[in-house]
Amino acid sequence: MRQPGMYSGMLSGISGKTGPHSLPLARIKKIMKKSGDDVKMISGEAPIVFSKACELFIEELTRQSWAMTMQGRRRTLHKDDVASAVAATDIFDFLVNLVSEPPNADEDAPGGTNNIEH
Amino acid sequence: MDPMDIVGKSKEDASLPKATMTKIIKEMLPPDVRVARDAQDLLIECCVEFINLVSSESNEVCNREEKRTIAPEHVLKALEVLGFGEYIEEVYAAYEQHKHETMQDSLKGGKWSNGAEMTEEALLAEQQRMFAEARARMNGGAAVPKQTDVDSNVES
Repeated sequence: MRQPGMYSGMLSGISGKTGPHSLPLARIKKIMKKSGDDVKMISGEAPIVFSKACELFIEELTRQSWAMTMQGRRRTLHKDDVASAVAATDIFDFLVNLVSEPPNADEDAPGGTNNIEH
Repeated sequence: MDPMDIVGKSKEDASLPKATMTKIIKEMLPPDVRVARDAQDLLIECCVEFINLVSSESNEVCNREEKRTIAPEHVLKALEVLGFGEYIEEVYAAYEQHKHETMQDSLKGGKWSNGAEMTEEALLAEQQRMFAEARARMNGGAAVPKQTDVDSNVES
């Protein structure tokens, strides 16, 4: 039997430390540069800080999404769980549009018209 | 899926490596839990968006301080402003840890920086020895006067 303590530990915010995975600094730097039109030069150390921050962010978002999954008594984390987590957490407000936007063109328009915007 | 996604050359395409992200995500969850693929992709997109958000804010902070390069302090300030203040401590600790590890690496690699005095002494001794050998060659192979303790052994 799994010890219940392990998972409740995760939920209460104790970082069950993830292994030594770091996100690639070059990739992070690239994303940073594209984040705006006139991004300043980026120090070599800034991506390192980002790498850790991203890890924490993903952990928190995952944790919150998982809480939604458990509420629905499921064992598979779905996209909707992520959306619910975003809606329920203030600091995730910036993600609201991202999670509600369907990745593919929606087919709810009757008659099968393409949703191509001109 | 757009073929451009695979090539990764389009400007929109910088994303985070799926394998690493998946590992981080899975480690947060109990082992028997599955993550739907669309949920995985969405989590990765959210992370990219997070970087965008914090980068923009860091850029602002940097501007306000009239600096030309975005430094870690600017990022930390941005995190606080955006409501991610509770990350700061751990992020800063990881940053310090990384600096420490990087320093260790350069110490290991550089023989000069560690125990510089010894190195100088060794170099000096080496120089003396080389002079002595050169002198001996000039003297036509006579007994090489090296360190006195060695000589005393030979002479007695």
